[in-house]
Amino acid sequence: MSCEIPFGPQHPALEEPINFMFKIEEERVIDVKPRLGYVHRGIEKIAESRNYQQLVYLSERICGICSFAHTLCYSQAVEELLGLEVPERAKFIRTILAEMERIQNHYLWLGLTAKEMGFETLFMYAWRDRETIIEMLDMISGKRVNYGVNTIGGVRRDIAESMIERIERSLEHLEKRAEYYTKVCTKDPSILKRTVGVGILRPREARALCAVGPTARASGIARDVRADEPYAAYGEIPFKVVTYRGCDVASRMYVRIDEIKESIRIIRYALKNMPEGPIRVKVPTRVPEGEAISRVEAPRGENLHFLKSNGTDKPERWKIRAPTLANLPSLCRMLIGVNLADVPVVIAGIDPCIACAERVALIDVKTKKREIWDGKDLWRYANEWYRRKYGF
Amino acid sequence: MVPEEIWILIEIFLFPGFLFLFSLAFFTEWLDRKIVAKFQNRYGPLYVGPKGILQPIADFIKLLSKEDITPRMADKVPFRLIPILLLTLAITPLFCIPIMGSKALIYFEGDLIVIMFIMSLIALLVFIGGWASTNLFGTIGSIRAGLQMFAYEIPMSLAMIGPAVSAGSLSVSKIVEWQISGVWNILIQPIGFAVLTVCLMAHLQRVPFDIPEAESEIVGGWLVEFSGKKLALIRLANDFELVLASSLMVSLFLGGPYGPWYISPVTYLAKFLLCVFILSNLRAAFARYRIDHLLAGAWKYLTPLALLQICLLKVWGI
Repeated sequence: MSCEIPFGPQHPALEEPINFMFKIEEERVIDVKPRLGYVHRGIEKIAESRNYQQLVYLSERICGICSFAHTLCYSQAVEELLGLEVPERAKFIRTILAEMERIQNHYLWLGLTAKEMGFETLFMYAWRDRETIIEMLDMISGKRVNYGVNTIGGVRRDIAESMIERIERSLEHLEKRAEYYTKVCTKDPSILKRTVGVGILRPREARALCAVGPTARASGIARDVRADEPYAAYGEIPFKVVTYRGCDVASRMYVRIDEIKESIRIIRYALKNMPEGPIRVKVPTRVPEGEAISRVEAPRGENLHFLKSNGTDKPERWKIRAPTLANLPSLCRMLIGVNLADVPVVIAGIDPCIACAERVALIDVKTKKREIWDGKDLWRYANEWYRRKYGF
Repeated sequence: MVPEEIWILIEIFLFPGFLFLFSLAFFTEWLDRKIVAKFQNRYGPLYVGPKGILQPIADFIKLLSKEDITPRMADKVPFRLIPILLLTLAITPLFCIPIMGSKALIYFEGDLIVIMFIMSLIALLVFIGGWASTNLFGTIGSIRAGLQMFAYEIPMSLAMIGPAVSAGSLSVSKIVEWQISGVWNILIQPIGFAVLTVCLMAHLQRVPFDIPEAESEIVGGWLVEFSGKKLALIRLANDFELVLASSLMVSLFLGGPYGPWYISPVTYLAKFLLCVFILSNLRAAFARYRIDHLLAGAWKYLTPLALLQICLLKVWGI
């Protein structure tokens, strides 16, 4: 007997609305259809009516968790168009904040995945430890989530001498905790039972479906923009790309925990070798005509921003490809054959951020016609629909 | 002198009857929540009453006052009956548990069998409740509840039979009495105690065996359509089941209200709290298992272990 079970758009295991239609046979998933479009916000359209400085703040709000990665990606694209060289110190500060954000995100992920497994204690512990790094981010930037540190041509806030000691102390604590979580996640039988061999994505499939970030690295593919195409100060800092060959949720967990430790090493190195100097340069408001692509390794995977300028102070087109969108095909592959009880864990395994992934593209299911709508079309459609339905 | 009828009424309605049991149920829920919160680095209930001790009662009253929805597609009669039946069935066996002395309020040869039977009925009612709600998640939850019953039912019964074998009686009161003259059952049947604890966790549907509810997978499972008064009654029934589980552990394995020093309800309560502590501790320390893990584990390990315990009893001739 097979039956269809809806998963989302409202579901306790999902932080954001997305819908998966599962076809299940005796608790085993045999087919899955994802459906996006519940949190589309039209950011790319808004971008065409704002100037470049304002867009820094808009890009910060693409994602609530990896906000720094998005501003970094956007600023780099504008800087490339302007042909601007960012001061060395700013590059180091960007690296430090990006890595802090990675630590913050990975602890958040660990907690959420534990919650999907029904392990509430680990959830509470991971989020308590996440507080340490958030406090550090708060100390540097003045905010806990959207830091507002990046700007075109550098950063807005410096890391003072007095802060370094506090950061070092918190890093020490976090490293100890990361060791502890490694121990828990490799030893605890109930965690192992729920993660090992669950949600398999083979290396060949991962490559074919263009998986990015920790999802790809857990399938043994050493794909990391930080190493492949260094930006900010990553070219000068030695670090290793963490890969695991397990191809399952457990490997995704170990990759992330090891990345926390690697990030801590990167921050330590960067703090020690941070050069003196200015943290930003002045930039013109008008950007010359051209196109630029910028890539950043966000905590969830590769972030890609494409920017086309037309010589005014507003961009002509700004295209964002967030890591979740790149990982959705891999996710659908992973879900097939999985037990219904493991579905939340597998979905959590790619660290989905639905709001980042949403772009407007309407597909009429009956005619298979694909069209792109703007606000006016939507408005017209809504009016017509109500007229038809209720007759006014 | 006070006539005997009044004493009986006091026993049934005040102590150790309804009033005591209800307060114990609410207190147990509070204690359980507080202990788990402590393990998880949280505060737990805090505002209602001193240290939040009245929070379960406040929750109960709040749920009673909420809108009570019966889905249009649900099987109305079983859907409405199940919360009431669950509560009644959860309270009934508590009268067979000796709290004051060696004699429970109700005792007869074979009351242990009745308790087992009622516990199976509770599991069956859970299945029917989820099925009657006709919700997809509810249906899956109830199927899981049914499967879970197949997993823990046999080892649990075997573990409960162990003390009966050593005492030579199927009455809980007799088993308690036997433990005064001899030793506590936990000393001669440690495996049985462990098996019973694990099975009771599965019976109570607590983490790691909250598979039929599994909030993050099937949105609350069999409970998903119950709301308002029905949910309040079901939650109260859950509290009573927790009380029953701990009481069974106390009476069958820890010598009931008999301590090394004197007999009193205080000794009983001390042991009872210890058992609640064990159950809460286990709840905080695991991730949720999958239903196939539980079935395999129960038949591969729990059942043989329970059988082994009974064999050992016979071999030693205790």
